[in-house]
Parts: sequence; C-alpha cells; structure tokens
Amino acid sequence: MLMEIFSCLFFFFFRSMNVFLIVYLCILISKALINTVLKYVWQSEPFRDEPWYNQKTEPERKRNLFLRAFTDFLAFMVLFNYIIPVSMYVTVEMQKFLGSYFLTWDEEMFDEDTGEGPLVNTSDLNEELGQIEYVFTDKTGTLTENNMEFVECCIEGHVYVPHVICNGQILHDCTGIDMIDSSPGGSGKEREDLFFRALCLCHTVQVKDDDSVDGLKKNQLSRRSCIYISSSPDEVALVEGIQRLGYTYLRLKDNFMEILNRENNIEKFELLEVLSFDSVRRRMSVIVRSSTGDIFLFCKGADSSIFPRVKEGKIDQIRSRVERNAVEGLRTLCVAYKKLTAEEYSNAQKLLQNAKLALQDREKKLAEVYEKIERDFILLGATAVEDRLQEKAADTIEALQKAGIKVWVLTGDKMETAAATCYACKLFRRNTQILELTTKKIEEQSLHDVLFDLSKTVLRHNGSLTRDTFSGLSTDMQDYGLIIDGAALSLIMKPRQDGSSGNYRELFLEICRNCSAVLCCRMAPLQKAQIVKLIKLSKEHPITLAIGDGANDVSMILEAHVGIGIIGKEGRQAARNSDYAIPKFKHLKKMLLVHGHFYYVRISELVQYFFYKNVCFIFPQFLYQFFCGFSQQTLYDTAYLTLYNISFTSLPILLYGLMEQHVSADTLKREPSLYRDVAKNALLRWRAFIYWTFLGVFDAVVFFFGAYFLFDNTIVTSNGQLMTTSTHMMFGNWTFGTLVFTVLVFTVTLKLALDTHYWTWINHFMIWGSLVFYIVFSLLWGGIIWPFLNYQRMYYVFMQMLSSGPAWLGIILLITVSLLPDVLKKVLCRQLWPTATERIQNASRHCREHISEFTPLACLKSPRYRSSDCSNSPARRTNWCFLCANLLSRNTL
Amino acid sequence: MRRERSGVNKQYSFPTVRTQGEETRPSRCPDNSAFKQQKLPAWKPQLSTATVLPGFFLTGAFCLAVGVCLILSANSVRDVQIDYSDKCSDCSKFRENSSNWNKECHCSVNFTLKEDILGDVFMYYGLQNFYQNHRRYVISRSDAQLLGRNVNSYCAPFTAYRNGTPMAPCGAIANSMFNDTIDLFYNLNSSAIQVPVLKTGNSWWTDKNVKFRNPKSYNLSSAFAGTARPPYWHKPVYLLDEEDERNNGYVNEDLIIWMRVSAFATFRNLYRRVKRIRQFADGLPAGNYTFRIAYNFPVTKFKGRKHVILSTVVWSGGSNPFLGIAYVVSGTAATLTGFVITAIHLKLRKKKTYFQK
Repeated sequence: MLMEIFSCLFFFFFRSMNVFLIVYLCILISKALINTVLKYVWQSEPFRDEPWYNQKTEPERKRNLFLRAFTDFLAFMVLFNYIIPVSMYVTVEMQKFLGSYFLTWDEEMFDEDTGEGPLVNTSDLNEELGQIEYVFTDKTGTLTENNMEFVECCIEGHVYVPHVICNGQILHDCTGIDMIDSSPGGSGKEREDLFFRALCLCHTVQVKDDDSVDGLKKNQLSRRSCIYISSSPDEVALVEGIQRLGYTYLRLKDNFMEILNRENNIEKFELLEVLSFDSVRRRMSVIVRSSTGDIFLFCKGADSSIFPRVKEGKIDQIRSRVERNAVEGLRTLCVAYKKLTAEEYSNAQKLLQNAKLALQDREKKLAEVYEKIERDFILLGATAVEDRLQEKAADTIEALQKAGIKVWVLTGDKMETAAATCYACKLFRRNTQILELTTKKIEEQSLHDVLFDLSKTVLRHNGSLTRDTFSGLSTDMQDYGLIIDGAALSLIMKPRQDGSSGNYRELFLEICRNCSAVLCCRMAPLQKAQIVKLIKLSKEHPITLAIGDGANDVSMILEAHVGIGIIGKEGRQAARNSDYAIPKFKHLKKMLLVHGHFYYVRISELVQYFFYKNVCFIFPQFLYQFFCGFSQQTLYDTAYLTLYNISFTSLPILLYGLMEQHVSADTLKREPSLYRDVAKNALLRWRAFIYWTFLGVFDAVVFFFGAYFLFDNTIVTSNGQLMTTSTHMMFGNWTFGTLVFTVLVFTVTLKLALDTHYWTWINHFMIWGSLVFYIVFSLLWGGIIWPFLNYQRMYYVFMQMLSSGPAWLGIILLITVSLLPDVLKKVLCRQLWPTATERIQNASRHCREHISEFTPLACLKSPRYRSSDCSNSPARRTNWCFLCANLLSRNTL
Repeated sequence: MRRERSGVNKQYSFPTVRTQGEETRPSRCPDNSAFKQQKLPAWKPQLSTATVLPGFFLTGAFCLAVGVCLILSANSVRDVQIDYSDKCSDCSKFRENSSNWNKECHCSVNFTLKEDILGDVFMYYGLQNFYQNHRRYVISRSDAQLLGRNVNSYCAPFTAYRNGTPMAPCGAIANSMFNDTIDLFYNLNSSAIQVPVLKTGNSWWTDKNVKFRNPKSYNLSSAFAGTARPPYWHKPVYLLDEEDERNNGYVNEDLIIWMRVSAFATFRNLYRRVKRIRQFADGLPAGNYTFRIAYNFPVTKFKGRKHVILSTVVWSGGSNPFLGIAYVVSGTAATLTGFVITAIHLKLRKKKTYFQK
C-alpha cells in the first residue's frame, strides 16, 4: 500500500528534475574534491603554503592533515553549494501554487449551468497536465450528459417541436415543418389527440408532488410543480416533452390516470393493463378505458418492433422521419394504438390473467400473450429523444487525439451503446478499423489466437501508422480502434499457470499502443483502475489521466497520475478524490492543451533557468579558486551571495513561470498538435539540460576571464576623472567580484528577457525593476559604513567601479558576448529546424502583418475552427445508433 | 431552456456581463479581469531572423567602432616596467636572511626613456606571485580598527603580541605592507635631479576621508599609545609619514592602497604620481633615469618578483590592449554571424518559394 502511494507520488517531472539535481550534486562534489586535491598539491611547496606574509595561527598548524583536508572539502562544498538551487524548490512551489489559481480563475472553464468552476485539489501536478499521453474517460455522465431530452415528435408525418425548447422562437432548422399551432384539421386532429394521450398514458412514470424550492427550480415550466420519476430517463423525457406540448400527466390515482389537456380540462383514464417493457420485445403497452368508455391499447417501442405490427397509418412518412432522426443520433420510439372492443378486451384480459398465473414458463407465456395482443396497430407517430453528448465532447476528443493523446473510454455499459457513443464523440471515425476483443470472440477462438491475429493486423501497418500519427495531420490514415470487454480483460490480466504470465499482457499492450482509440466496456470499477495501472506501469511509463464523474470512477482517478473529477450530478465523490475537478468534459481540452501546455513550458523553463543562473553564479567562483590558491576565498560579497537567488534574480523568473505564453492560448486551442511539441518531457530532455548547463558555463567563463583580462595589468584602474581630478584609482578583489556580479545579474536577467515571449507591464516592471533594484541596492550597500558589520569591504566599491570608463565598456562587452551565442542558437534553430510551435509563431506573425502566401496551418485553419466555436446551435448530434450499427458491421474484423 | 440562456450570455462581451452579472452569474464565477484570464495586453516579440539581423549588424558595427577607438587610444599610453628583483639581487639575497630584517639595503636601477612620456605619469610598484587574495590573508584585518574604533578579533594571527600589546594596525595585510622606498632621479648632464612626486591623492577619496580614520586624540603618537607596530614594520604607524600630518597613521595613503587587497596574485599598486612642475610640467622628458630603491620587502622567499612601473592613462584605462582587441574581435564575430544568418535566411527563402511554385 505504502509502495503504491510512493509510486503515485513518484511523478515524472520531479523524476527528471531530481536526475538533474543528482548530476549537479555530482558536479558539486567533484568540484569540491578537485579543489581540495589541487589545494594540497599547490600547497605542497612551503613557500606557497605559508609565506611569510600570510602565516597560520598556532591551532591551524597543529591540526591533523586529514581533518584539515576534510574541513577544506566542506568549505568548498559550502562555497559551491549554490549550484544546487535550493531556492528553486521554493520558487517551483510558489509557481505551482500561484499558477494553479489561473486554472480556477479561468472563465472559460466555468460552467454557468451548474455554477461550478474548476477546482484544484493539488497544485503539484500542474505541469503533468502538459505531459498527458493517455486519457481514460468514463462514459455516462462524462462524455454524455446523462440527461435525456425530448426533441420532437412526428404525427402522421407532421413534425411537432415542443416550442418552449427554443424559448419562444422557432428553431431555424424547423422552418417549413408544421408547427403545433398550424394543426391539421379533421382526422389528423383526432390522431394528434390520440398520439398525445398515448404518450401521456403509455409509461410507468411515477409522479412526486413537490412544492419545495428544488422542485420549482427543476420544473419551472409546468403548470404544477411535480417531478416525474421513472427507471428509464427516456420515459421522463417523453412525459416532460409532452407536457410542453400541452398535455400534462398529473397522477395515477385509484387506478385512474389523470391528464390535464390543452384546454385545462382533466381527463381520466382507467388503467386496465400494463404490458411492461422488456428488451426482447423492445416495446410496452397499456390498455386504458377512457371516460367515454372506449378501450384503447397504446403501444410504444422501437421502430423495428412496431412497424411489422402496423396495419394502418402513414407508415412511409413516419419511417423516413424515424430514419432521419436515427442518422442524427436520436433515440427514436414509435407510437401506435388500437381500439379494443369490450369483447376483445375481455379476451385479452383472460389471456393475460392465465399467463400471469402460470406456474411454469411464465415469462414465455406472457411473451406469447403480448405477441397476440400487440398486433394490428394503427401507427400514430414517432418520438425522438436525445441522450445528449456533453457539449463539445466530440470536439474535445478530436482535439485530444490530434494532440497525440490516446483516449480510452472505460465504461460499464454494454458494447453497442458504448460503441455508439464512441462514434458520436468521434473517438472512432468512419475510417477507424475496429478490432474486437470480446467474450463473444474469445468463445469462438482461443484468447491466444485472437490476440495474435489482432497484433498481426495491427503491426502490419505499424510503420506507416506511427509516422502518420506523428505528422498528426493526415486524416485518412488507417487507424485502429480496439473494443475490449471486462471478461476478456480479466482473462488477459489473469496470470497463467504455465508461468508465462506477462505474455498476453505484453501482447495486449502492444496492440493497444498501436490503436488510436480503445473502448473498454462492461468494466467493473476495479477493472478500470487495473487498466490504468497496466498502462501506467508499462515500459514507457506514460503519464496517464483519468476522468470520471461517479463513485465508480474513484478507483481509476486515484490510480492515474492525474485524476480529474467531473463535478456532475452524481455527487461529488469523484471531484473530491481527484486532483482537479472540472464542471464538464469539454473543459478538459483547455485544461490540457492550454493550461497544461503553459504550465509545462513555464516550469521547464523555470527549472532550466534556475540551473543555468546558478551555474553562471558559481562557476566564476570555482574558477577564482585557481587564482587565489584554492583558499575558498569568495568572489562575491556576502550580501550578493545571499541575495542573488532571493531578490536579484528570483522575481522575474517567478513571474515568467506565472505569465509566459509562448504562443497565445487561442492558438494552442486551435492547434492541438502543438501539444506534441512538449510531449514526453521534450523540454526537459538531456539535450536541453546540457545546452543550458553549457550556456551557463560559457557565460561564466566569459564573465570571469573577461573580467580577469580587464584587471590584468590593471586596465581598470580608473583614472577617476568622473569623481575627482586625474587620480589613478586602484581596484581590488571586491571590485573584481562586483564587476563579475554586475555582469552576471544583467546577463542572467537579460537572458530571461530574451526568452520571454509575452511582455505584459508586469513583466517589464519585474525585469527592469529587479535590475534597478540591484543597482539601487548596490549603491546603498556600498554607500554607507554599516555599523553592525565588522567589515566594510564593499564601501564605495560599486560607485568607484561605475566611475571608471573601462569598467562600463567591459560590462557592456561581456553582457553582449555572453548573450549573443544564445540569440544565435535560437535564430538558427528557428530557421533550420523549427518546431511546430515556432512555425505557428512565425505564421501568426505573418497572419497579423499580411495574409501572405506562405501561411501554413494556423491561418488556413483558423476560420473553420472559429466558426465552429462561435456557432451557438446546440451541437447537433452526430450519428448514433444508425451510424454505429453501420460502421460496426462494416469495420469489425 | 437553460442552455439557451447560457448561450446568450456567452455572446455578450465581458463588460456587459459585468453590469448584469449580479443576478445572472452565480457567485462562484470568477471575475474576468484581464490578469486572471491571462489576457493582459502584451508585447509578443519573437526572435525571428528579420528582427535579429539588424541587431547583429548593429552590435557588430558598435563593437568594431568602440574597439578601434580603444585600440587607438591605448596606443598613446606609455608604459615602462622594470623588474628590480633581479637587478637588486644582492639586496634580494640579503633579505632572504631574516636576521637582517632591520638593516638597510639600497640599490639603484638605471633606465633610459627614448621619448617623452607626456601627461600625468603614475608610478606603480608591482608584485608577482604575492597571494593577496588568499582567504586567510584577506580576512586578517580589522576595518573597525582602521576606522579608529576598538580592535575586534579578526586579525589573527597578527592581533597582539604575546605580552598583550595590540598591534596597530593589526592583521596580516597590514603587517605585510609594501615598504620599499622608491625614488626616481632624472640624470641630466651628470647631475641627478629627484623627480618630484605626490604621495597623496592616490587613493579613493572615500577611503581616505571616511573609511580610514585615526583614533581621536590630541596628537597621533598619543592616539596610538598602548599599541605596538606590526612585527614586520620598521616604524610605528604614526611615523609612516612624518612630513604630512594628514598622511600619517591609518590615513597614510600607502597603507590605504595596500589595504585594498588585489584580485590576483600578480598586481600593481599606485605608489606615486609625478608632480608636474618645472621640467616635468609636461610629464617625463626623454633621457636617463635612475630608481633608487631602499630594498626592504623580501620576495624571493615566495618566489615573487617586484616591479616598478611608470605609466600614463587615457580615458579608456591603462596600457592593456585587451578591451580594444576584445571589442574588435566580438564586433567582427557579430558581423560575420550576421552575414551567415543572412545567407541561410536567403537560401531557405528561395527553397520555400520554390516549393510553393
């Protein structure tokens, strides 16, 4: 258990940072060792060890050689300890803590429906958001809203749309279709009435009267406040939809169903029989007696089960409408009725009675009876209900896939439903080849064969696939989607008797790695966690993210590196157990692509810069040891040593860590492929690390030897004409240190300025402010004889240095020389091997200046994306059942 | 219905939302200041070739110009450096025996100036291999004492004598103060004229007037009563300059200059300035000169060397050509880099247009 917690805490980012730290620790120790050894080599000649002018004290002379060597070693460690940037940890923590506020402040991540914004439960993982390789998502409530909505009904070929849904306005895509007000007359009117009554009566919904605030809020539009409760959300949606069309189901009282019709009259129907729903028949019926004494059988069900039983009605018109709706991804139901004579009814009743009382095969007998009764219908119409995908779920998943993130859907639902959702949210596309690894398949072949077949199929295209995914742009590449169910998974995970346990797992992972999307259905909550763990511990150690809304997702959320909870309807358990909580699935896009990317870019620069500036800081000190007899003489004054990391160079980088936007947030959102630029810890790789370290060493060498040659032969003995009359001033070691330190502070700060791509007034304030602060501090520090200090070595050193012309010239030269190589490297890399990010930066620049001829990606794409962003029309459901069925049959191997 | 409303809300721009925000927005909604939305107006510079190229050329031109100026001006600097640790080898050997510490040893060094040294002429002593920057040495001083206050105990191992008499000034730095006396003579028509020199005005004004103060008393010797000279000194601190009261004691400029420890083991310190009067009004005329040196400072023990240097200065410093050369080199490098970048840029652009066709 403890191990697990540790492995959870063992985050990728800190892993790489710690490796760097170990490297620096090695450098530190080797520096100290080298210097200690050299010191004793150097001192081996007595005229150097103790010249007449520099004698040791008695206790020093008597000290044991090894003890002396050890103290010297420790002294060097203390001298060079700044190379291990302790202040970095403080700054990183501050950056993470403060940076996470930007996430909670983000207005686009705020959901106005629920009044919820993102929650950040830990700020340790901000940069992990930019490193996600696998997203594991729950389906219900995460991808879908878990909220059915009545969309339309079609009666006799006339389409009715509940008008309240569009807030009193006619929806633009309904024009040209008969509306509720332009009702057809005659028999049509009669059928219409029957249709609405059928929907009002044919269900098993219970009514809960509720006058509390809660109810009011939920059902503002009803004439009476009540809540419908049913085992099926579809039924509730239908009853509510009909209510909006004017017919309100009031209650079931003493076996009488009460309806409030459009004229505000209460109609009463006696409920005689309920032929309840089952998934085989895929329909249900009720038999009711109206107040006039007529007996009706109302039936509603799936189109495939209703149409064969219809003898009358505008079948063709309704069928075409139903099909159209199915393509649009709506759940359709057909409604039919039949008028029963008293005789027929009593027959039916008798049959039912017998079947219900049967002791054997009751189910079967009931089904037979139902079959007999439910026939010769007159078709009334069809309804369409939608279990909406969450807003922009498809867009989000598409973006994530473009960003090179593999999206896995883990759900407890059955395969068909889940597959339909996956198609709808573009997890699987039309050209995705579906691989199935289900119980059914395994029953046909052995698990072994299935796995090997699949891997063969996948690996055949392996080479081309990886290349294509990396370019990220070609959409017609052959990509694979895998469907696996819980039973098959447990077979794979089960260790085998013959000892080769890892075998299937490896094979399975291999297949998964080559699939762009994976759907795991019929998962138990623990299996979800198992899958996450499997991927997490696979040999590439990818960063995983799990997102879910319900209690059943908690295990997976806890298992993944980054756990995200949806603050949904199903309580807050997931949100509370997660690292981050967001109101909707769509917010994941901005969270990863924008915030995650920013966080990662910021923190990686922050870490590298910290190492860099401390190398710059300490390396001259190391070099100085070679010139001062390895005596641990510091190059800089104590105040400079202390304040360098605390105040001279800390704030600009902290601010960079909070504010930097190397490309704009909009671009990042528009071009998900930019996420690939930072994937796999790209900015904290060894190459970058070594570059920064070498830059640091180079700069340090420039500072030190530049100043050394300046001081050699006393060129910077200022002639002091600025201060007094032609005097030739002498500069000592503290002036030397101050000169190096001044160059250092300026170079390091300007280097950050060169790296800053986003200059707000705060950045200007901080960067220039910290330079000004350095100058002011130095003036002050050197301007006063500080009574509490027992040395006054800095007195007027800084001013004297500034009064010397050569010192100015030297400072300017050294800063320029140390900055130019970095600028050169940047320009050349940008020119010769531009990353996608840099191409976008260039392109957006050109875009801004003039819509020029060479504007790839961003400019060409932006209009399309923008229009899709702006369009307010409720994201019209894409293919559901229809498409899914089609594609499944076509693509399944 | 609810969704519609939210859609409408989103169409509004930020300010309008704010005005009607009270009832439509739940309280948890973050406020939409530009800072919090990370949308502060910003300048977004990119280091593209086009922006950097002028920078490279400008830097190159600037550095070249400055470098040429520096080299030209440094050329006018005259610099005469004479190593007298060999020339006075007798004295050197004499000093190696520490029992001779209080006996005098004189030596003279002749040299010839082929041309005049015009302007202010500075006289330095230079030391080689003298580790003034050794940590043990650097910390062995008491700034408080030099300020005329009480001694604090940072002067080890030269704090006080065994009998408890404190040293004034204490510490290794003060103890090892350079104590050769160097006089310059101009040999004109076989008569030696001593070149008049200035002892004062050589140190930082702030050092002389603020950082170094004598203890307050009615006269100097009483101010230093109860203290003793450092062991290697020949005379107590209040006799450093008996002619000039304001250059005596802790405020003696030779002491002040020595107390500013050098950054490296090879260094030169300002010793005297030539006083521009009489025939030296324009500087040192060409001719034969002699340094007469009272050789007190032993250097052979630590394999050091001693120099005496005559030099002038210009606005850009002394005789070191480093700054000028460095400027020229980096200016050239920047310009060349500029050309290389231009070439690459042009080549790539050609390729790009080619592809587009």
